[in-house]
Amino acid sequence: MRKTLALTSRELLAYFSSPLAYVVLTAFLFFNGYVFWLIMAFLNDPRSQAMQPMKLVFGGTIFFWLFLLFVVPVITMRLLAEERRSGTLEVLLTSPVSEAQVVLAKFAAAFVFYVFLWAPTLIYVAMLASKAKIDWGPVASGYLGIAALGLLFLAVGLFTSALVKNQILAAILAFAILVVMFSLGLVENLASGTAVKGALSYLNMWEHMDDYGRGIVDSRHLVYSLSLTGLFLFLATKALEAGKGK
Amino acid sequence: MIEVQGLTKRFVDRTAVSDVSFFVPEGEVLGFLGPNGAGKTTTMRMITGFLTPTEGTVRVGGIELNRDSLALRGKIGYLPENVALYPEMRVAEYLHFRAEVEGVARGEVRARLDEVVERTMLGGVRRQLIGTLSKGYRQRVGLAGAMIHKPPVLILDEPTVGLDPRQIVKIRELITQLGRDHTVILSTHILPEVEQVCRRVLIIDAGKIVADGSPEQLRAGLAGAAELHVQLEAPAAEAQEALAGLTGATEVRAEDDGRFTVAVEGGEDLRRAVFSLAVERRWVLLELTQTTPSLEDVFLRLTTRDSAAAVAGEEDAGAEPGGNPGEGSNGGSVDGPGTVPGDGTNPAPEVTHA
Repeated sequence: MRKTLALTSRELLAYFSSPLAYVVLTAFLFFNGYVFWLIMAFLNDPRSQAMQPMKLVFGGTIFFWLFLLFVVPVITMRLLAEERRSGTLEVLLTSPVSEAQVVLAKFAAAFVFYVFLWAPTLIYVAMLASKAKIDWGPVASGYLGIAALGLLFLAVGLFTSALVKNQILAAILAFAILVVMFSLGLVENLASGTAVKGALSYLNMWEHMDDYGRGIVDSRHLVYSLSLTGLFLFLATKALEAGKGK
Repeated sequence: MIEVQGLTKRFVDRTAVSDVSFFVPEGEVLGFLGPNGAGKTTTMRMITGFLTPTEGTVRVGGIELNRDSLALRGKIGYLPENVALYPEMRVAEYLHFRAEVEGVARGEVRARLDEVVERTMLGGVRRQLIGTLSKGYRQRVGLAGAMIHKPPVLILDEPTVGLDPRQIVKIRELITQLGRDHTVILSTHILPEVEQVCRRVLIIDAGKIVADGSPEQLRAGLAGAAELHVQLEAPAAEAQEALAGLTGATEVRAEDDGRFTVAVEGGEDLRRAVFSLAVERRWVLLELTQTTPSLEDVFLRLTTRDSAAAVAGEEDAGAEPGGNPGEGSNGGSVDGPGTVPGDGTNPAPEVTHA
């Protein structure tokens, strides 16, 4: 545990000593602020339907998805690829820490950074709360949804980072996998036949977020993202182990 | 301490290490010598657990790699070839991190940190970012990291590559010191380094061990490689015959001006005999030098896969007194066989043979 913690805190140090972290944070805030303003402007129009603003922030717009699909690979691309490229992986994997520990520690650090990314959006909630009555349930479940999907996306990114030496390649691979996973759910609308439709609906992340944003915590959605998270972390560990035998 | 049995590593396209076995007793400094691409790094990576052997076993302090890889990794301090460090960390931060990862007890971290910083002379750069350090300092940080958990075994892969001569001397002194309380495997292709630091040498070539022994043994083992250079004022034919008649002389080559080169077998020192011969026949002795083969000769002979003629040619060039700067410590000297040239006490000339 102490070793994992040491690895995680080293990783966080690496995050916050690189300019990339600040670029991502700034871009994220700027972008989200703009989207929030758009949503406010839209809802202020008397012709628009009454909706909960935070629900729109949580996956209600394509911006949310675009940003998540782009940003998560950027967060994770460095994690293992850079260690492999620079050779520090050799030091790490010849220390008395297991591959699983390394993967978990890196994953934890990436998640902390992800939470850090989202934390400032609580300001929007505070702003809304000061002007209107807020239904706290959906807000909480919305953040839960963001966390659950974040875990899954980060696990995919960590996995591709374990595969290659080149950070950019790791990011592109993660982006490709994520886009396939995301769009697989969207195909639901084109499918015919209840079985296929049902299966695709299970994979539809947009719908998942829609539910979370409405205050529905569906255990199927949680199982979906958590089980896939586990799978990708397992694959990342195996990728590290396989590197030794080749 | 370290027991390697039938270690083999096959990559998809080639066999990097094949059937390597050796044993390193506790407290020994073993020099692991070989040309580039001979399989040194691969072997070390297998011992440290970074690569899984295709065949064979590694045991360190009684722990088998395949059984309990984590426990074995804890016993080894490893400095990989290119000393990979995290540039964004400060020296003390990095060492603290290494201490935690290597499992140094919480209460001891501080004391260990102070000790390794002192031993590797990093006191002045504790607060400095690793990315801003020079290569020599980084090498020392890597070394400090490798010994932070007091491992009984240190494995150092080319620890002096890319350093300037002064730094090389310092790192070698440090390794010699470390050899007193650690078992060390040191890989290198710098020959004087091995002569100074190691009591035993393992030469590996094309993935196989081709020689194993102390530097003296390896040199002595090369029959006929010692050479006696004599210059006499004497009838050439008669002198040649007389020299060939000495015990231990295997071949006499006559050169101009009454110079002779005598190939000497297995550790004989012919200087006394030649002197007596000259006195007896009333020849004037102008020059008398016996050279032992350098480790370089041994190395070249064992690892050169050209024709025998080419090997002989290399030896000629190498044995020319003063003709090859690499000879430095023993070329042209009157050291008898078995003397270690530059036995660590005198900093031998910093000539790299890379």
